[in-house]
Amino acid sequence: MFKIWMWERLFSDFGVFLRGFAVTVGVSVCALALTLVISLVVGLFRCSGNRALSAFSRGYMSFFQNTPLVVQIFFFYNVLPRLNVILSPFAVGCFGLSLYTGAFGAAVVEAAVNAVPHGQLEAATSQGFGFLRTMFHIVLPQAMKVALPPMTNQAVNLIKNSSVLAMIAGGELMYRADSWASDSAVYGPTFVVTGLLYLSLCLPLSMAARKLEKKTRHP
Amino acid sequence: MKKRLFAVALFLLVCSVALFAQGASEGSDEIAKIKAKGVLSVGCKVDVPSFGYKNINTGEVEGFEIDLSKAVAKKIFGDETKVEFTGVTAKTRGPLLDTGELDMVAATFTVTEERKQSWDFSQIYYVDAVAVMVKKASGFTSFKDLDGRTVGVAQSATTKKSLEAGAAEAGITLKYSEFATYPELKVALDSGRIDAFSVDFAILNGYMEDSCMILPERFAPQDYGIAVKKGNTALLDLVNETIDELRASGELDAMLVKWGLK
Amino acid sequence: MMSFFEPYSLSEVLLFLFKGLGVTMMIALLSILFSFLFGTILGVARYSSKGILGKLAAVYIDCVRNIPLLLFILSFRLMFPSYVFGYKIPYKPVVSAILAMTVFTSAMVAEIIRGGLNSIPKGQWEAATSQGFTFAGTMVHIILPQALKKILVPMMGQFVTCIKDTSFCQVVGISELMLNATIVMGKFRYASQVIVLYSLVALIYYLVNISVLHLSKKIKF
Repeated sequence: MFKIWMWERLFSDFGVFLRGFAVTVGVSVCALALTLVISLVVGLFRCSGNRALSAFSRGYMSFFQNTPLVVQIFFFYNVLPRLNVILSPFAVGCFGLSLYTGAFGAAVVEAAVNAVPHGQLEAATSQGFGFLRTMFHIVLPQAMKVALPPMTNQAVNLIKNSSVLAMIAGGELMYRADSWASDSAVYGPTFVVTGLLYLSLCLPLSMAARKLEKKTRHP
Repeated sequence: MKKRLFAVALFLLVCSVALFAQGASEGSDEIAKIKAKGVLSVGCKVDVPSFGYKNINTGEVEGFEIDLSKAVAKKIFGDETKVEFTGVTAKTRGPLLDTGELDMVAATFTVTEERKQSWDFSQIYYVDAVAVMVKKASGFTSFKDLDGRTVGVAQSATTKKSLEAGAAEAGITLKYSEFATYPELKVALDSGRIDAFSVDFAILNGYMEDSCMILPERFAPQDYGIAVKKGNTALLDLVNETIDELRASGELDAMLVKWGLK
Repeated sequence: MMSFFEPYSLSEVLLFLFKGLGVTMMIALLSILFSFLFGTILGVARYSSKGILGKLAAVYIDCVRNIPLLLFILSFRLMFPSYVFGYKIPYKPVVSAILAMTVFTSAMVAEIIRGGLNSIPKGQWEAATSQGFTFAGTMVHIILPQALKKILVPMMGQFVTCIKDTSFCQVVGISELMLNATIVMGKFRYASQVIVLYSLVALIYYLVNISVLHLSKKIKF
C-alpha cells in the first residue's frame, strides 16, 4: 500500500492536488463570505420581534439544519437547471454550502445577540435608536466576542463539508484526489496527503477558535 | 503550537500506516483460491439500468453485466449462483480489486491505456459510444444536418468534448446547452428547447420512443471490459474464454438483446 | 392509470426508500452508540489527564475533527481488510462505514463531554475528595451523572448530524436512503419525477431528525 514508487508518482503529479486545493480554498472563501451575510440577516430576523420574519427564519433554519447537505446540493444541482438557471458546480457549491452553514451561523448570531443584556436594547431604544442602529452600534459589537469562536468552528465545518462537491464533480481537492487515485491506483498516499492538506487548512482555524473561546471564558 | 502541529501530523501518518499496511499475498493459483472460497466476488453497478441495476422490489441486482458474471461463475463452479455481488462506484471499483476483496469487476469499466497499467482487462464485451437523438418530425437524418443547431448534453460528462471533435471533423458548428439530468434533456427535446439530445448510446436507448430516432453516427467509442487484479492471468484467461464461448454460441447477442442493448 | 413515479408505483418507491432509511438509521444508531463509549473515554482523558493520556486524546481529537468525514468513509471502505484473524467480516461495507463514522464522531463527542465536564464547578471535586471519594469514584458517582444531563441536548444534535452524514455512504455504494433514491431515479424519464423524489427524500430526513430532536426535549432524568 505504501511503496516508494507510489509516493514518487504522487509528487510528480502534485499539481493536481494543488489545483484542487486552490479550488477548495476558493469555494470556501466565497461560501464563507455568503454564510456571514446569511447568518447575520437571518439571525437578526430572529431577534427583530417581527413575527413573519422570525417565523420565516425559524423555518429556514429548521429545514436546512435537519436535512443532509448532500441532499441539498443534489437538489440545487438538479433542480435549478429546470428553472433555466445553469450554474457551474463551483457556484452550486458556494450557494449550497452557504445556505447550509448559514442555518447554523444564524443560530450562533441569535444566541450571541441574546447574550447581550436586554436592558441595553431598551436603553438604546429609549434614546430614540432604531432597531438596526441599536443592533449595529450597540448590540452586535458586543455579540461579536461571543459569536466569534462558534463561527470559526462553523468555518471549519464549511471547509470540511466542501468535500461534498466531489459528488457533483466540483473539481475541488477531494474530487481531484479521488479521480487521480482511481486512475493511478495510488490510494494510501493519496488519502494521507489529502488528509494533511485539509488539516493544514482547518487545524489553525480550530486552534484559533479554542484560543478565542478561552479568552472569552476568562477575560 | 508548532509541537502540537507536528504531533498531529505524526499521529496521522502512524495511524494510516497501521491501517493500510496489509500484506498483499500473491497466490500461485488464483482459480484454486476462488474455488476454496466457494464463491466468485464480483463488483457491479447498482444504479445503471441494463448493465447493473438493483431491482427495487427484490433487492437483487440485474442486468447484462450481472448475467455475464454469472456465466463466469458457471464456468468456474458449474453453478451460476455461486457469485457474490458487491455494489461499487467509480471511486471504489479499482481499489477493491487491489485489496483482494473483489475477484473481478464488471461495472461499465471503460478500458483505457492508463488504467491498463493498474489492472488487467478482459476482451471488450460491449462498445458504447456517444450518439445523438432527434425528433423524427424535425427531418434531421444525419449529423451534418445539425449545423448551427443546439444540442443538449449532460453537465460534466465528456459528451460535449467528443461531440466538438466530431463536429470539427464534419465541418459543422454546434451550440450546446447543458442540463444536470437525463430526464431533463429528454423533456427539453420534447419541448423543442433543444434540437438534439446526446449521451452514451446505451443510456440514450433507454429514452427511445416512437417520435424519436437515433442518428447513425457514433463518437468517442468507450470499450467496456471486465477488470481483474494486475497479474491475475488465470482468472483473466478464464473470463476471456467465457466471453469467447458466449460469443460463439450466440448467447452474448441474446443477452444484449434481452437487456435492450442491441 | 399511470403512476407519477412511472415505471414504479408510489408504494414500491416508498417501500424501497424506507428500506434505505432502515440502513441509514442502523448505521447512525450504532455509530453514535460506539462514539458515545469511545468519545466519553477520550473526553474524560482530555479533561482529567495532564499527562501522556490527555495529550494523546487531544492530538486524536484535533486530528480527526479537522479532516472531512468523506475521506474517512472512503479510506476505511477501501483500506479495511476483508479478514481479521482469519475470520471474514460479514457486511463489510456497512461495518467499515460504521467504523469510519465512529472514528470521526468520537472526536466530536469527546469535545461535547469535555464541555459538559468543564461546566461542573471545581468545588465539587474538592468536596468529594474531602469526603474520601477516590478520583474514579468522584468521576463515576458525582461528576459524570451531572455532566451527562448537560450534554443530552448536544448529544442528540450529534445524533442528528450522524443521520445526515450517513448520506456520504452512497459514495462507497452502501444502499442507504440516498443511494436508494439514486437507484429509483435511474429509471425516471421526467424531470418532475426527479424533483418530487428529491423533495420526498429531504422530507423523510427532516421528519426523522425533527422527531429525534423533539424526543430529546421529552427525556428527563
